[in-house]
Amino acid sequence: MDKIIGIITCNYRIDNPEALGRSYPLAALPFAGRYHLIDFPLSNMVNSGIRTVGIILPSMIRPVLNHLGSGKEWNLDRKTGGLFILQGTDPGIYPRNHDFVLRDLQKNIDFLENSIAEYVILSNCSNIVNVDFKEAVRQHRQTEADITLLVKEMVLTPEDEQVLLVETDRRGRAQKLVKAQGKTGQKALRFANMLIMKRNLLLDIVRGYQDIEYINIMDALEKYVSSLKIGTYRIPGYIGRIYSRQSFFQRSMEMLQPEIQKELFLGERRILTRSRDCPPTKYGPTSAVHNALVSSGCIIDGNVSESIIFRGVAIEEAARVTNCIIMKSCKVGRGTVLENVIVPNNTIIQPGIFVRGQPEAVMMLNINQTE
Amino acid sequence: MFKKEWIAMLLAGGQGSRLGALTRNIAKPALAFGAKYRIIDFSLSNCVNSNIDTVGVLTQYKPYLLNTYIGMGSAWDLDLSDGGVHILPPFVGEEGGRWYKGTANAIYENIDFIETFDPEYILILSGDHIYNMNYEAMLAYHKEKHADLTISVLEVPWEEATRFGIITADLEGKISRFSEKPKKPDSNLASMGIYIFTWAVLKEALKQEETKPKSENDFGKNIMPTLLAEGKRLFCYRFQGYWRDVGTLESYYEANMDLLKDRPELKLYDDGHRVFSNSAILPPQYIGPHAKVCNCLVGNGCRILGEIKNSIISSGVYVAEGAKVEDSILLPNTRVFEGAQVYRAITGEKAVVKPHCVMGSQSSEDRSQCAITVLGDKGIWTKGFQN
Repeated sequence: MDKIIGIITCNYRIDNPEALGRSYPLAALPFAGRYHLIDFPLSNMVNSGIRTVGIILPSMIRPVLNHLGSGKEWNLDRKTGGLFILQGTDPGIYPRNHDFVLRDLQKNIDFLENSIAEYVILSNCSNIVNVDFKEAVRQHRQTEADITLLVKEMVLTPEDEQVLLVETDRRGRAQKLVKAQGKTGQKALRFANMLIMKRNLLLDIVRGYQDIEYINIMDALEKYVSSLKIGTYRIPGYIGRIYSRQSFFQRSMEMLQPEIQKELFLGERRILTRSRDCPPTKYGPTSAVHNALVSSGCIIDGNVSESIIFRGVAIEEAARVTNCIIMKSCKVGRGTVLENVIVPNNTIIQPGIFVRGQPEAVMMLNINQTE
Repeated sequence: MFKKEWIAMLLAGGQGSRLGALTRNIAKPALAFGAKYRIIDFSLSNCVNSNIDTVGVLTQYKPYLLNTYIGMGSAWDLDLSDGGVHILPPFVGEEGGRWYKGTANAIYENIDFIETFDPEYILILSGDHIYNMNYEAMLAYHKEKHADLTISVLEVPWEEATRFGIITADLEGKISRFSEKPKKPDSNLASMGIYIFTWAVLKEALKQEETKPKSENDFGKNIMPTLLAEGKRLFCYRFQGYWRDVGTLESYYEANMDLLKDRPELKLYDDGHRVFSNSAILPPQYIGPHAKVCNCLVGNGCRILGEIKNSIISSGVYVAEGAKVEDSILLPNTRVFEGAQVYRAITGEKAVVKPHCVMGSQSSEDRSQCAITVLGDKGIWTKGFQN
């Protein structure tokens, strides 16, 4: 797979990013106890043998760069190829749901021009998935497609309103790209924000759209549906997407299912992430833990159920944490009760506090609320 | 190479025969410890935390896992172009090759390696001790005393003094006598096997020792008595804190269990002194809906569906629903299947306890008196079937 390079765009935004805390771009959103969303596309590329990956940065670069470092955990600290940090353009006020803005590629056209790779795989960071790009590329070659869109067959939910659907003919060739609006409950092929094409074709598109570089590559492709051969690759297995606080919460809780854990994190192609050398987690004599994902470096003396606990969290005696996501380095005081709550990094919750969200409207704890 | 003020030499060739099946396939320093570490992590992390950037690791016995584990040292930030970690196995020269005859001989054989760094001082460490220590304070002491050799010592209970190399020193710390496992100890200061030598002195002593055909080429037995007899300046540096030699099954078991105490003396959760390890990137541990977890240390990637109590559960362990593990140490990737029971046992890496089989003594009374049941690496336990 030395003939393929990857580009991951971290510019994608959700409707209301503040709902998940102001401090992270989606690429650096903490997930499943120790991962960031960027780990998924990045690990998928590396696990598929891709050794050159360009990361188009979001406007807030620190959490992403901090996480990636030199790319060591993904074996991307290399002389040949490796991790390329590419500057993203100012997000400005272009419409939401844009993940492959041509301007971002235009700005980093050197990266594409200097490469000798035959293919480029583009991906954004909003999908929780473990996909083998080798298979997708094999199909891309076999079908002699110009472009292959990675798609997932699914029943649309109200949350999917904004996603792009691909209508295909019987052999899987894309006929039309349409918005999902008003199609809730229908079975459709959702574009999974990943695509494969020849590097030269991508260069042609980027150059051809120099004057209207603010549009999304998918908008550009709509016009080519009839002239280019656009194929689809159906992703087998689990795929989860994050649109909002509620979907972040639901996707997180899905990680408690052993089958999904196995597929994403325990197989041969497992998702990699930055390692932080935390000590093992200590469960005290008074702890009671059921159906929970617990990261390293925690000290658990209280009760935890149906929850995701990130690294370095302390849960004191008689505290009760149910259906919650507790992020890195938080402390839950003695006797405190939390239900249906997301607690952001480094929050210290004093003893004896009750915070209850609703299962259908989880609460994001704001640090000020605890004081 | 640039000149270094000091470098460390880590003796990691020991077989650890007293650890039985646990070290059948691996060198003792590579043995897993404390749910996510290997024993050598503690010495290597101490080096890094003491700003030592050059470490020679002397290997001999079954070094494969140890070599793989250390790699180029990146897990401890020791992947440096100027220094870093170097694995030093025995080698062949013009006059043939030979195994390391003893701890001192291992250093003697690598004089050339040490000379490339032209150090003033040299720190000799063992790869089989569990402790957190800052060697910089010891080096400062060594310089302050203008010592030729500084030995780190620990006060041990008098009744245990017969098990250690005992140092007799005056009030200033100047060593007057050294006795290996004395029957009637006159001091309770035990040598921890950590030495700082002024390199010129050690080099001379090693060369002399090599000429003595009957020598065991051992630091404790030969080098130290010789230096003492020659009137060299030997000082002891008192270490305060947690230190354990985990050379036997019992001491290995106890040191692991020490981590389960309410406030363990060995601080793993201290940000100022981190213990680094080279671990695979695994997902967080999953505790199942019917699991019971009580007083345990659990590593990454575990799937606990059964009951675990007072145990050390290393990375990647699977405990099935209905299985029960108590007072035990499960090393990485052990699998305990449904209905199986494990009491006061140590299971090796990738070991399997078959469904409904029982390991160790079931009765909870005086279990602590029972022998520890050990299952070696990749071992399969099929005994004690109960339905």
